[in-house]
Amino acid sequence: MRLCLVSQTPLVLFLRERRQEHGTVPLKLSSLSEGEDYEFTAGGVTKMVYPLLRKMREGGLLEVAHWVSLNPGAPPLLSSSGLLLHHLELEKQRLSGYGAAKETLWRTLHGLSRETVDFLWQDEFIDYTYFNRKCAEFLLSLEKENDFDLFYIHDFQMLPLGHMLNLLKPKLFRWHLPFDETLLPEEWRPLLSLYFNSYEAVVVSCRKYLKTLRRLGYRGKSVHLYPYLDLSLYGKPTREEVEALCNRFGIGEDERVVLVVARLDPMKGQDRAIEGFAKAGIPGTKLMLVGDGSFSSSKKGMGLSKAERWLGYLRGRARELGVEDRVIFAGYLKPRELQAAYERCEVVLLPSLLEGFGLVVIEGWVYRKPCLVSRRAGVAELIKEGENGLLFDPLLPEELAEKLSLLLSDERLAASLGEGGKETSSLCSLERGVEEEAKVMRELVGE
Amino acid sequence: MNLPDVLLKLSFFVFTLLITALLSRVLSLLIGDLFREWAPSLRTSLQRLASVAVWMVGLIFAIGLLGLKTDLLLLLVGLMGLAVLLALREVLENVGAKYFSDLYIPFKVGDIIRVGGQSGKVIEINPVTTVLLTKEERLISIPNSVFMREKVVNLTPHVWKEILIPVTISSSLSLPEFESEVLKACGRFRRYLDERFPPLLTVKGREEKYVNLILTLMVKDPSKKEEIVRELNRKISEIEKNLKRKK
Repeated sequence: MRLCLVSQTPLVLFLRERRQEHGTVPLKLSSLSEGEDYEFTAGGVTKMVYPLLRKMREGGLLEVAHWVSLNPGAPPLLSSSGLLLHHLELEKQRLSGYGAAKETLWRTLHGLSRETVDFLWQDEFIDYTYFNRKCAEFLLSLEKENDFDLFYIHDFQMLPLGHMLNLLKPKLFRWHLPFDETLLPEEWRPLLSLYFNSYEAVVVSCRKYLKTLRRLGYRGKSVHLYPYLDLSLYGKPTREEVEALCNRFGIGEDERVVLVVARLDPMKGQDRAIEGFAKAGIPGTKLMLVGDGSFSSSKKGMGLSKAERWLGYLRGRARELGVEDRVIFAGYLKPRELQAAYERCEVVLLPSLLEGFGLVVIEGWVYRKPCLVSRRAGVAELIKEGENGLLFDPLLPEELAEKLSLLLSDERLAASLGEGGKETSSLCSLERGVEEEAKVMRELVGE
Repeated sequence: MNLPDVLLKLSFFVFTLLITALLSRVLSLLIGDLFREWAPSLRTSLQRLASVAVWMVGLIFAIGLLGLKTDLLLLLVGLMGLAVLLALREVLENVGAKYFSDLYIPFKVGDIIRVGGQSGKVIEINPVTTVLLTKEERLISIPNSVFMREKVVNLTPHVWKEILIPVTISSSLSLPEFESEVLKACGRFRRYLDERFPPLLTVKGREEKYVNLILTLMVKDPSKKEEIVRELNRKISEIEKNLKRKK
């Protein structure tokens, strides 16, 4: 199969400007150094997409795989594991308009703002359309050279692409965000419906999102596939690695750790975690917040500084609640450090106000950790209360405090939830994900 | 004939061709300017037609300058044209009707229409016929010329709101830039439009030199349609011109 995949977020972020260095000859990722030249972007999309494409290439399903994304300042063409990564540029002014538009879309789809029809007529929305059209034109030029069998478009930023690619080739769309029809502004529905209906198939992360898709008037094939991770990458960290992490962040030997792994964003509910943690008031316990900004929300990516503002707010909130010396703002951790954090913690907490899925719960399960999960996250669909996790409402800090206290005081319950979670995690394994994705893709291509 | 004579004739020939090219370009610009309120596709076609006509006249004149007889050539071209017209009269009638129906008859693929006692969903509009799929899943092929004679009723809900403006632009222009400018221009008419449907530009086809697009808008008040179309056509011409100039 010849595949062209598109996601706004690129696989890697370059730590310095490299646009001019290479032209049409792909730069090999293996020739660069992680941490010095580049770092992998955070977030579920890239965590899923990269292993998916690699696995499909290795398994012989993909003859050709191109991955197109937005990556200002990056080399235009990169190669890694048989994949060709194309990086698109966007002029500075357009980038800022596009960023503002996608932020509005994101906030609205998460119920953080009630947008009106005005948005669809603003210059920012025109910049959003501009980027999609630019991407569509690029895809059409790639199509001429590659004759793809399938276009696989990821995430809400790229939704208009299906309509813009007027080709008789199957187009598959993956929606990663929460999909709650009550949050969709009434006036946006005709346009959203038109955009969705330009895809032959749409994949959503949870069963409940299928209903929204149908009510929106989508007539194509709709599928729900749980997001997945390459679980084999989550090895057991060494004792030294765990100790190094503890030393770095001042975690004492007897101290217990509640871990939150999420990018710095109000929607991720770190403030709720701090509030619930303060209310629980368990002595000898620390709350560790891991994560920095996303590709869009950090200065390193698209230049928006939402993450920095949110971090300032969280620090202030911890001070107000008198827990500033027990909250660790760890920022970005390298994969091995993150694994050490999972290994070291007692509880994995997902406090999101709304979350498309919540892969960190799966990561916690890999380490047999009990997970305390927001009812508003898609992954809550997999939680059987008391069997593989506990659920709570992120708007009720008392409930979070109560369940956190329970998990930290009842070791047997914590261990059984960890075991139950470990079993459930197989539903989100890369092998299963690849199998299911391949089934959808093959069906569309007619293989 | 001596060599200087041949060279002189050849230089006249080349000069005539250059003048022809210049005339063709001037005429094309003139048409673009004079008919800027017309549907852009119609305007582009007129420009192409004028260009072909100028080139034919120019070529015949240039051949005449070489000292070759053009009477027979003219007669042959005329007779061939007549023969083609006679032989393909009905087909041409349909093709012509299709051409104008694209521009002025308000239906498109996907609409449900009634014409000449037949009704169904339009599933294909080819150069000669329009194919309808009836409720009974029968295919009815209707010659395009029928649409110029018969009353056509479009039964599609809310279709009265729809404005479809065919646009043809040079493929050398940046489509994202063009689209942005067109969307901004449409924003000026927002108060007359159904705001739930922002303007939408759809690529209908690509040729080597041109990209065929359809701009879709939804109006609040259908009586304003003509005015909006005229204004937008004018705006689109300006945008195209400005982008060409910028290039």
